[in-house]
Amino acid sequence: MMQRKRKSKQAQPALKAKWRANIDDHPIGLAWSPDAKNLAVAGVSGPITLFNGADGSVLHKLPGHALDTMAISWRKDSRLLASVGQDGKARLWDVETGTQSAEMVGGASWVERVAFSPVGDWLVSAAGRKLRLWNSGGELIREYPDANSTITDIKWRYDGRYFAISAYNGVVLYDPVEAEPLRRFEWQGSTLTLEWSPDGKYIATGDQDSTVHFWIAATGQDLRMWGYETKVQELAWSFNSRYLATGGGTQVVIWDCSGVGPENTRPIMLEGHQQLIKHLEFQRRGMLLASGGNDGLFAIWKVGKKKPAKLVDAVFKAPIANLAWSPDDRCIAVTDESGTLSIAAARR
Amino acid sequence: MMNAADTRVPVTVLTGFLGSGKTTLLNRILTENHGKKIAVIENEFGEVGIDNDLVIGAEEEIFEMNNGCICCTVRGDLIRILGHLMKRRDKFDYIMIETTGMADPGPVAQTFYVDDDMQGKLHLDAIVTLVDAKHIWEHIDDSDEAKEQVAFADVILLNKIDLVAPEDLERLEARIKSMNSMAKIYRSRDAVVEMDKILNVGGFNLDRALEIDPKFMEPEYPFEWSGIFNLNSGDYQWLMGEGPDPAMGAALLPLANMGMAAQEATLMDAVLTFSEDEQALEAGDMLRLGKGQHNQLALNENGETVFHITIQEPGYYMLFTEHHPEEFEAYLRGAESVLEPLETREYKPDHEHDEEVTSVGITLSGDLQLEKLNGWLSQLLREQGQDIFRMKGVLSVRGWDERFVFQGVHMLFDGRPDRPWGNELRHNKLIFIGRNLDRAALENGFRACLAA
Repeated sequence: MMQRKRKSKQAQPALKAKWRANIDDHPIGLAWSPDAKNLAVAGVSGPITLFNGADGSVLHKLPGHALDTMAISWRKDSRLLASVGQDGKARLWDVETGTQSAEMVGGASWVERVAFSPVGDWLVSAAGRKLRLWNSGGELIREYPDANSTITDIKWRYDGRYFAISAYNGVVLYDPVEAEPLRRFEWQGSTLTLEWSPDGKYIATGDQDSTVHFWIAATGQDLRMWGYETKVQELAWSFNSRYLATGGGTQVVIWDCSGVGPENTRPIMLEGHQQLIKHLEFQRRGMLLASGGNDGLFAIWKVGKKKPAKLVDAVFKAPIANLAWSPDDRCIAVTDESGTLSIAAARR
Repeated sequence: MMNAADTRVPVTVLTGFLGSGKTTLLNRILTENHGKKIAVIENEFGEVGIDNDLVIGAEEEIFEMNNGCICCTVRGDLIRILGHLMKRRDKFDYIMIETTGMADPGPVAQTFYVDDDMQGKLHLDAIVTLVDAKHIWEHIDDSDEAKEQVAFADVILLNKIDLVAPEDLERLEARIKSMNSMAKIYRSRDAVVEMDKILNVGGFNLDRALEIDPKFMEPEYPFEWSGIFNLNSGDYQWLMGEGPDPAMGAALLPLANMGMAAQEATLMDAVLTFSEDEQALEAGDMLRLGKGQHNQLALNENGETVFHITIQEPGYYMLFTEHHPEEFEAYLRGAESVLEPLETREYKPDHEHDEEVTSVGITLSGDLQLEKLNGWLSQLLREQGQDIFRMKGVLSVRGWDERFVFQGVHMLFDGRPDRPWGNELRHNKLIFIGRNLDRAALENGFRACLAA
């Protein structure tokens, strides 16, 4: 054991900057293509830049949405990027040519959320209360009855069999081949964001009323975690579905879902941020957690059974806007609100 | 003046019923050459850029929020839209939020208290309410929204004054002052108003909480009714049936003309008259006329009681009665027929203002004991927070050199020590604006917080 401990200490990864860029806009979306080759960065004023992930060369600068882009999502084959914005449209972009391949009507003036299925041939968009299902080429498959309130998030389960939406009154679960929702997870409050545990057992939500919920997807049972400083918009699951890292304050709060679950347990607390945490991202196959805060601090933490430790940190000149581990976990993209985009590799 | 260190963007909330002139005012604000870059959030769809400015459509979306023990409603769409707006590169100097005509301003105001992102980047400057001076009468008595819009306001713009008679305007302003004595009231035509009257007002600024001047004691009258009669010289009878009381106070005063000013003058005379000792009258007695003549009309045990009146100078007269004549089936009869008053007015004593929105201002000398004050305020807000729209105060707390200033919306409030009292006389000023406020209970409760 001692040996392993020493070894893990020696293996502390330092970060090595790979490349940097500046998009001269507040980055609102940051996403690696599933093949890890390209990185898309959407600026709040509209344009979307496609970078070559390896060297930072610009492949295409897509016009995005005339009035503010809101969100982006990659198709599983990495050949199409979907974007939505305040022009009321969802758009599909051909990554090869940098041209628009489809334009879809979201149903309201702001299309806020978009999510390609990680597996199947589907795309879901949300505009206000309007929820629409498209095929991955942009043809409308189904328009659902209006949600009870504005849809705040859409997330697919790992296998693409289901997707869940959050709104101001909880979570609704859908099967893309069914017109009716499968289940409603109702909460008298405003749910801001959701994350499926990678094993599909839990749907975790962050709420405006400073709570985190663990909905057990199969039963609809709800575990509530109170006591956050502020609304919770930052959620990240470890790949093994054991840990849920949450923000909602200046400390990272990590719930251990092993054994009987997180209820009545003491969470792990990570201290280091001076201001509110804005982003949390776990690696896809590893136990490194990245955090970014309003204080411009970006940090990587090792989370596990042993006392968690901060491995590296760096301070950006503006609040951290986005974080994204590359699909191979080898590097991480970080943006700050001034438009800085920094790609760093973990050095062994 | 805004705090120099405060880089947050000021927000003004514009309320008012449909047709009150909100759109006209907004267009004025956008076209006025004030050098400010303004974003407007209004309740229509879409987003339009006008020169530097931006108009964003919003769909009012209210949700209830539990915030610890406090429950309040907030505008979810505003959190989203403003959150997004603050991410933009093109920074705005000012944000205006227009609410729908029927909106309760509470959720909008509360939104700025409960969301950290909003608090960090924006500050609520003021609620400005436009009132259609002509048509407000159609709403003010029975519309909760109209009352709330008046009650919440820091600034009230009486618009379309060209469409109403001056005396009606006076009446309206008096009515509005009785509901919200804290607001600054301006009059306008076509929503023409100087920008500094409505922008950077500092209505929610604690530094300005002390500017309140609680001299607004709501007038209370010792009578409930008055009626104006045009009487020729001759004899009249005042007849009263059996009523809830064995006697009733009354005064009959000459009125110079039907104008508002003359009525107000006679009203003041009546207040003075009712403060005089009563003169007991029995059935068949002659009612004494004029200033200072406070008649106490004793009723027969059964049936009708008649009092006589003789008029020598023909003209307008105003009869003031302690209770409403209907309660006694009372009426005035001339030689030939029953006389209907030309105009009547009711004066409700404080305890009957149950449905009304009012302001209660309290000034008190002495030092407060902090624990008592906390206990009283938290209980008050727990029990009546829904009915208390706005409150402000400057308080003198025992053991503190500084003044304590606070202000709040419903159950949410913030307060802090302000500058030292120095040579200023230590005192307490407090104002509540709300529905069903019990002035006596508030005064007693506040008084009980004084340090022994």
